[in-house]
Amino acid sequence: MNVLIVEDEKSLALEIDEFLSREGFTVEHARTRRSAEEKIFVNNYDFILLDLGLPDSDGFDLLKVFKKLPDRDDAVIILTARGAIDDRIHGLEAGADDYLPKPFSLNELLARIHAITRRKHKLDSNEINIKGYRINIQNRTVYYNEERINLTKKEFEIFNYLVLNKNRVISRTNLTEHVWGDVLEINSDSNFVDVHVKNLRKKLSQFAPVDWFETVRSIGYRINI
Amino acid sequence: MKLQFKLALYNTLTKIAVILFTGLFTLLAIEKLSVNHIEARLDKSKDMVIRQMSASEIKNLIDQPDYNILNQEYVLIKPIAFDPAPTNAIKYRTEQRVVDNNSEIYRILTAHFNFKNQTYLLEIGESIESIEDLKTIIKQFTLVVLIIALALTLASDLIFTKYLLSPFYKIIDRKLIKVNDPLNFDYEKVKTSTQDFNLLDDSISSLMKKITDLFLLEKQFIANVSHELLTPISIISSRLENLMLQENLSEEAENKLFASLKTLNRLKSIINSLLLISKVENHQFNKTDTVKISDVLAEIMEELEDRVENKKIQFHNRIAYQYSMMANRALIHTLLFNIVNNAIKYNAVKGHLVISDDVVNNTYRLQIADTGVGMEPEQIEKAFNRFEKLESDEMESFGLGLAIVKSIATFHNISIDIQSNRGKGTTFTLTFNSKI
Repeated sequence: MNVLIVEDEKSLALEIDEFLSREGFTVEHARTRRSAEEKIFVNNYDFILLDLGLPDSDGFDLLKVFKKLPDRDDAVIILTARGAIDDRIHGLEAGADDYLPKPFSLNELLARIHAITRRKHKLDSNEINIKGYRINIQNRTVYYNEERINLTKKEFEIFNYLVLNKNRVISRTNLTEHVWGDVLEINSDSNFVDVHVKNLRKKLSQFAPVDWFETVRSIGYRINI
Repeated sequence: MKLQFKLALYNTLTKIAVILFTGLFTLLAIEKLSVNHIEARLDKSKDMVIRQMSASEIKNLIDQPDYNILNQEYVLIKPIAFDPAPTNAIKYRTEQRVVDNNSEIYRILTAHFNFKNQTYLLEIGESIESIEDLKTIIKQFTLVVLIIALALTLASDLIFTKYLLSPFYKIIDRKLIKVNDPLNFDYEKVKTSTQDFNLLDDSISSLMKKITDLFLLEKQFIANVSHELLTPISIISSRLENLMLQENLSEEAENKLFASLKTLNRLKSIINSLLLISKVENHQFNKTDTVKISDVLAEIMEELEDRVENKKIQFHNRIAYQYSMMANRALIHTLLFNIVNNAIKYNAVKGHLVISDDVVNNTYRLQIADTGVGMEPEQIEKAFNRFEKLESDEMESFGLGLAIVKSIATFHNISIDIQSNRGKGTTFTLTFNSKI
């Protein structure tokens, strides 16, 4: 999958590039609206990561131009430091697929990309298989063999997020932010997520050992596959 | 009272005073002058009477009261008890007398004199009826003038002050009352030839210009801060995340990287909270959603369900009204979320959380009560200050939650009252001041 990063902040673009390349994406860059337009007119992308504050224009204008192009299915994720709630609504109304306020976690970005991919391409297998557990993302259910495991909404979110970001340590803060959204102040007591993880582990371990579900001391959690 | 009416009233009162004073002065002057005149004449007549006195004259006078020796309207001589040295004093008085069957008011001179071993009382009077008539006429005239003058000047004053003050009222109305946002200020000058109003108009305009500049500057500043601070944080955080993915990291390095990420996150939360407060205070949010409080609360309780369960808190939902208001839904959510979250955070294990509402004087009131640690009066006073935090052993906090609550509440015209007892619990009362 190829991604166009429209971002004038070079260092940030390079970090996103590094992260996504590691995940197997092909990454291109544009630092101004002009160069972004040139690239968009020529190529199709799976994802366009769009910063709203470009040196030569507002990102919204670029989005409008892009939305007028016929037969395009590129998913647009707005990345912005403006962070106003109104901007978010404005962005989604203007046709963006998602909206991520800066600073965001790269893991979160990846999770959003996965979610959009699944939504857009209606993947045949909406199921992820991990150590005998089957996660159905569409129905938000988890099965072990044929038996359904009753997870709460939050437990499911946590499990799903960790599986999406498998083999990476996910911090409590990151996990909290993903599950609860960026509700102000609430992130301050991120240890709260432990309770949910504990319950989740207990439910999963009724079927098979979950030694692959690792607690990384004082940091967070990791699912090793 | 409006300035226009005050001016008219003042003018009217001063005119009444001037006319009354003039009338009164005229009355007194006329009376004084005429009476002096009459008294001088009476005095002369008396001298003449006494000089020309003869026995026959006295007899005539005593016998025939109508006998007029002096061409005076009223003369009376009466013998009284003999007094060898009668007083020379002359007395004047005003009295009613009947002459020729006509009762009239006279100015009367009274004197005593001796004539041939007999003391007589002499009274000479002159009618002052004409003066009284004059006085009455002057009184009536004054009254009529007073009424006409009053009516005329009141009307003219009202019309003139209305004309005079109309630019002033225009300035007040257009430039002060109707301005709810400095950005919508109308800089067009109000036409007036009055220098003071021009000055007022100019002063308000220049003041408003300054406010608008500051306002825009602050808006710009907020936008800059959000961009200039959040972008570097974003870069560092991404860089650290990438670093975390290195295979050969020692455990210590990993821990330090995560600790740094956590610190960055803290920084982000603080900046976002401060930005939110600034934006709310600068009215950069719309109030265009119809927000039903009970729905928002239900949403929040669902989000916080796990925390309630974890602390074994008993939640009592006593919401009885379906209150809706025009507001910003996201902000109202944040407002209630922060209060309810605090009520859980600072609650005792197995404590109670009661959310209830009522309507008092047509205003909706929402109460969120916990049975937690409570606050001292000094703490309540400072509760809404930025970076003010309750000492809490289990969780870290930035002390911005209630500052956010305060700014959102003010923005929506909601007043907040905290009642708290140390160790017993805290009750937040929100009064929604918009009418139901």
